[in-house]
Amino acid sequence: MPAPTHLFPLIRNCEIGRLCNAVCYCHHKHLCCLSPPHFAHNHLRYAPQKKFATLHRPKENFNQFIHARSYVSTPQRFYLTPPQVNSILKANEYSFKVPEFDGKNVSSILGFDSNQLPANAPIEDRRSAATCLQTRGMLLGVFDGHAGCACAQAVSERLFYYIAVSLLPHETLLEIENAVESGRALLPILQWHKHPNDYFSKEASKLYFNSLRTYWQELIDLNTGETTDVKEALINAFKRLDNDISLEAQVGDPNSFLNYLVLRVAFSGATACVAHVDGVDLHIANTGDSRAMLGVQEEDGSWSAVNLSYDHNAQNEREIERVKSDHPKTEEKSLVKQDRLLGLLMPFRAFGDVKFKWSIDLQKRVIESGPDQLNDNEYTKFIPPNYHTPPYLTAEPEVIHHKLRPQDKFLVLATDGLWETMHRQDVVRIVGEYLTGVHHQQPIAVGGYKVTLGQMHGLLTERRARISSVFEDQNAATHLIRHAVGNNEFGTVDHERLSKMLSLPEELARMYRDDITIIVVQFNSYVVGACQNEEL
Amino acid sequence: MFLRLLSDVRWWTASSRWRNMASSRSSATSAAEPRLISLPAQAQVVVCGGGIMGTSVAYHLAKLGWKDVVLLEQGRLAAGTTRFCAGIVSTARHVSIELKMADYSNKLYQELEQETGIKTGVQIHDRTSVSHILVQKGHVTGVETDRGQIQCEYFVNCAGQWAYELGLSSEEPVSIPLHACEHFYLLTHPLKKPLESNTPTIVDLDGRIYIRSWQGGILSGGFEKNPKPIFTEGRNQLEIQNLHEDWDHFEPLLSALLRRMPGLETLEIMQLVNCPESFTPDMRCIMGESPTVQGYFVLAGMNSAGISYGGGAGKYLAEWMVNGYPSENVWPLDLKRFGALQSSRTFLRHRVMEVMPLICDLKVPRWDFQTGRQLRTSPLYDRLDAQGARWMEKHGFERPKYFVPPGKDLLALDQSKTFYKPDWFDIVGSEVKCCKEAVCVIDMSSFTKFEISSTGGQALEVLQYLFSNDLDVPVGHIVHTGMLNEKGGYENDCSIVRLNKRSFFMISPTDQQVHCWTWLKKHMPSDSNLLLEDVTWKYTALNLIGPRAVDVLSELSYVPMTPEHFPSLFCKEMSVGYANGIRVMSMTHTGEPGFMLYIPIEYALHVYNEVMSVGQKYGIRNAGYYALRSLRIEKFFAFWGQDLDAFTTPMECGREFRVKLEKGTDFIGRDALMQQKQNGVYKRFTMFILEDHDTDLDLWPWWGEPIYRNGCCVGKTTSSAYSYTLERHVCLGFVQNFDEKTGEGLGVTPDFINRGEYEIDIAGQRFQAKAKLYPFSSLFTQRRRKDEMELSSYQGK
Repeated sequence: MPAPTHLFPLIRNCEIGRLCNAVCYCHHKHLCCLSPPHFAHNHLRYAPQKKFATLHRPKENFNQFIHARSYVSTPQRFYLTPPQVNSILKANEYSFKVPEFDGKNVSSILGFDSNQLPANAPIEDRRSAATCLQTRGMLLGVFDGHAGCACAQAVSERLFYYIAVSLLPHETLLEIENAVESGRALLPILQWHKHPNDYFSKEASKLYFNSLRTYWQELIDLNTGETTDVKEALINAFKRLDNDISLEAQVGDPNSFLNYLVLRVAFSGATACVAHVDGVDLHIANTGDSRAMLGVQEEDGSWSAVNLSYDHNAQNEREIERVKSDHPKTEEKSLVKQDRLLGLLMPFRAFGDVKFKWSIDLQKRVIESGPDQLNDNEYTKFIPPNYHTPPYLTAEPEVIHHKLRPQDKFLVLATDGLWETMHRQDVVRIVGEYLTGVHHQQPIAVGGYKVTLGQMHGLLTERRARISSVFEDQNAATHLIRHAVGNNEFGTVDHERLSKMLSLPEELARMYRDDITIIVVQFNSYVVGACQNEEL
Repeated sequence: MFLRLLSDVRWWTASSRWRNMASSRSSATSAAEPRLISLPAQAQVVVCGGGIMGTSVAYHLAKLGWKDVVLLEQGRLAAGTTRFCAGIVSTARHVSIELKMADYSNKLYQELEQETGIKTGVQIHDRTSVSHILVQKGHVTGVETDRGQIQCEYFVNCAGQWAYELGLSSEEPVSIPLHACEHFYLLTHPLKKPLESNTPTIVDLDGRIYIRSWQGGILSGGFEKNPKPIFTEGRNQLEIQNLHEDWDHFEPLLSALLRRMPGLETLEIMQLVNCPESFTPDMRCIMGESPTVQGYFVLAGMNSAGISYGGGAGKYLAEWMVNGYPSENVWPLDLKRFGALQSSRTFLRHRVMEVMPLICDLKVPRWDFQTGRQLRTSPLYDRLDAQGARWMEKHGFERPKYFVPPGKDLLALDQSKTFYKPDWFDIVGSEVKCCKEAVCVIDMSSFTKFEISSTGGQALEVLQYLFSNDLDVPVGHIVHTGMLNEKGGYENDCSIVRLNKRSFFMISPTDQQVHCWTWLKKHMPSDSNLLLEDVTWKYTALNLIGPRAVDVLSELSYVPMTPEHFPSLFCKEMSVGYANGIRVMSMTHTGEPGFMLYIPIEYALHVYNEVMSVGQKYGIRNAGYYALRSLRIEKFFAFWGQDLDAFTTPMECGREFRVKLEKGTDFIGRDALMQQKQNGVYKRFTMFILEDHDTDLDLWPWWGEPIYRNGCCVGKTTSSAYSYTLERHVCLGFVQNFDEKTGEGLGVTPDFINRGEYEIDIAGQRFQAKAKLYPFSSLFTQRRRKDEMELSSYQGK
């Protein structure tokens, strides 16, 4: 990649920061020829470079950056101290431990750690975690927004309610409906586990509630009398929510703030990767390119990674086939270009993104009748090229069911910000070593090898450095982010690198990394083992 | 550096010789012969553990003439810590008795190089594990092994790190407080130019490592700051299998090695050996007879110095078994210094993690362990702690050292380590001043308290035989007396109150709780209807010291407390504040005027609050043991366990008239004392006042400093303190008289003491000292009568 290396050492003040944006944009022009000029104008505010255009590989560039720096004397460069680095990394961390009853944790989940590190300002990722109160099980999810955070925010607030409602038995639905009807107190459906920064939009709650109520009323009417299948419930919930998002935008709202909000939600997009854990039954529902990875500890103590989701993007042959089969053969060539849907969108499935779902007529009508802000926005007005047979995009998830085994120690849910910087095997190893503590770090044995005291000393010092970074974190997700951002070529956290990455100016950060959101769920092997035996 | 290292001995060589020596009947001699010789049905002594301790005990028993000894080893001879240990014999030791043991071992091993093929007659059976000790009527009767039973009179537990577990596998459990920690050392291939086997062993205390030559390469291990305790839950197969090399754990020690000897970088690793070592709660080894089971002896807990102590420790234990007592004072190592309270697994696990790193640390005076604390406390603990109390621990009991006034800060724990003037100097000074001029209160609840009673006159009869002073005194009187052994030495030093005709209240030092109980039980006639009760926990003891103590107490009790109404060394049950039944005793253990209050614990807080509030106008304040110590030492009071031990008689410390020699009543130790009275004594307790010592700038005397008389070393100090009254340091110690030519001990007369010029050697610097056999009478207040002065000079706790 012809990165303008000589320019990077200059990035030391705001002025040059802006210069760099321009450089960046030029880049895109090279790679993404069809970007119209107005599109580029909004580049940074909407951060479309991620989903709508390829980004240069962050790692490569960064190395060049560092490499170049070492030849230039830059005395005033300001570095973050370790406590400052920690305060940035830990700002969004959250931990939840499943409470014990009678000194025993009877849940198959011990607890979870989650964290996010923004690259966009504001961050476009969202996360959710909640315990189902009317059915068993726990829901956890990461949501990666694009073209703004509105859609991801709405999905993070609403999706779990849709899933919970889908899982509810007929009687409970009736009970809830009767309570609402007669103005009685509602049975609580979910218990949320939220970081203080994870907000709910108060203004839209009434609107969202009404849509949800309509959904359960329909479910009551539909009463099939069958027991709810989790997989089906997940698929229905995803599809229904996306449908509601689309409908709300079409209908609009008399309140101008809400009206603008529902339009922003519909015109932005979000992927979702959701886990439902109930005893040994683990369901992963995935839409888009976030990923669920199971950490499995082998008998010899080593760690291996098991994919529990498939990425919905151009790297997935089956996805390309699916998209192609949904549209006439004439469109085959224009459907996927530069590894993007219609040459624009990286994820092949997503919530919102009505620009890829509605007919051109509908889009024009909604925008025209919409508020001025929407009309002024070049991006919303822009119709994707070769747009003949919508919809091109769906929110329907792919659901994978996995029966937990005692060797399944944890699950990592993370947005692509993590997976594009770290290999899944490394992710699982780092979390595994973190969770099991230092003691389980593969011990060194001299065996029959010829090792000198000096070599051994070097090896041990290096291992200790790795361990000391573990002790700084009380949260597995934070620990993973520390590695994702700070790892050097030896796979150990390099403080200087970490400090540089975290002190990048806002508008530059996005070029070296994406928003990262991680949830690490730890399983209770004893309970899992016991459940397994019962089933046998 | 005071540390001297002597040559190391190849244990493996020595061990094989011992094996030959124990020879013909041993089944361990040839590995080619796997058949096991059947166990004998009975033996006089069964020793469990074929490591250095077990073999040493067996060897010394045989030397003392006990030939009917069976030694059992669960694996192979010398296979445990002994086999894997680094094999270093060092005679640099912290405690003097340990130094003597190491010194003896060193000589013994050299002799053993020659002394081979002697028949000891000891039967050795390996691959035999002891599962259970049989006890009847509090006496060992036999052992149960996986290969059958052996009847025996004596059992010796030398099971090393398994001694704790084995102690519990007895019908009457024996608590042996020790805990294992993993210990690592490194073996390398030979150097390019192989190291000579006589290369000196190097100990780098700052790096916490030791290095010695091993088959042309090096052997290096150490004592890390973060020990790994192991086998807390007992013998655990999983953990035994996991005793692998742990390089990450060894990293700091390897770094230290390469920092000290960078040239070793290219040396090739052969193996990292993991060999657990056992450690004890106070870093001193454990030996002696169980307080609960007669005939059950223990020798274990070597704190990784097993090879150094092996010879000496085995010798002392063998003497103990054969003669009833060892030839040296081994109280610092006696199993009975511990109680059941130190047997908790959690306590041991936590404490050994502190003890093991201390092996490489500088041992400063008055060091207190930080782990395993706040176990036994007085009901006033929280109240005193809130008032700035700093605590020390004795026998698990928290005792106040001094009280830090509000707004004053002491140094951090690490910075406070010193051999010079300590940071508490002024604080203790003001507490002492208050004791002299007003009144202070010291919580002394930790003292061991027993009640002995009988239905008839038996209590008096028995106690008259057990104690050296006359106890046939009027009711309400307090008698200071020793509890002597056959040789006239102090087994205990206590105060006894005659509560009524038939019952007595006995106050002993804190750490006497187990030892004193055992001694009394052992010497009381078994058929007597004597009732002995440990009431330590029932009473809180407050010591009101100072001239105004009288005023405080009389105000609280509406009873005149002046010497006319309440003579000294007298005890009365009376009410203090609202609380009734407080035992008030006119003694303070310091020679200062005042009272000890023995308060039933439920009244403790009430009485304390009343004393403090009434005492306010008399200038009352809290004080601690450091003030007490300064007060008692400047008055020449000896203290059992520090100045007095089982090898010191009343004659040697000027307490002859605390002995009822003239009364015609027999008591233990009487014959020895009579003889001593006739022949004179060979050592004499003396007080030294340092003349040219600068308290601010010179190193302080603590204890153990050599005493020089006319340039010749005549003894060592046993305790010392700064006297705020004399503004001088006072050292107490024993002076001996050695013949210049033969080195033989000669009689020590008062004249001999008085005619010498004395110097005390503190870390190589000698200070002039004035010797005195009697305390300064000017130190006693005028208000006390003559008899009190006399008595107070021998009193001490």
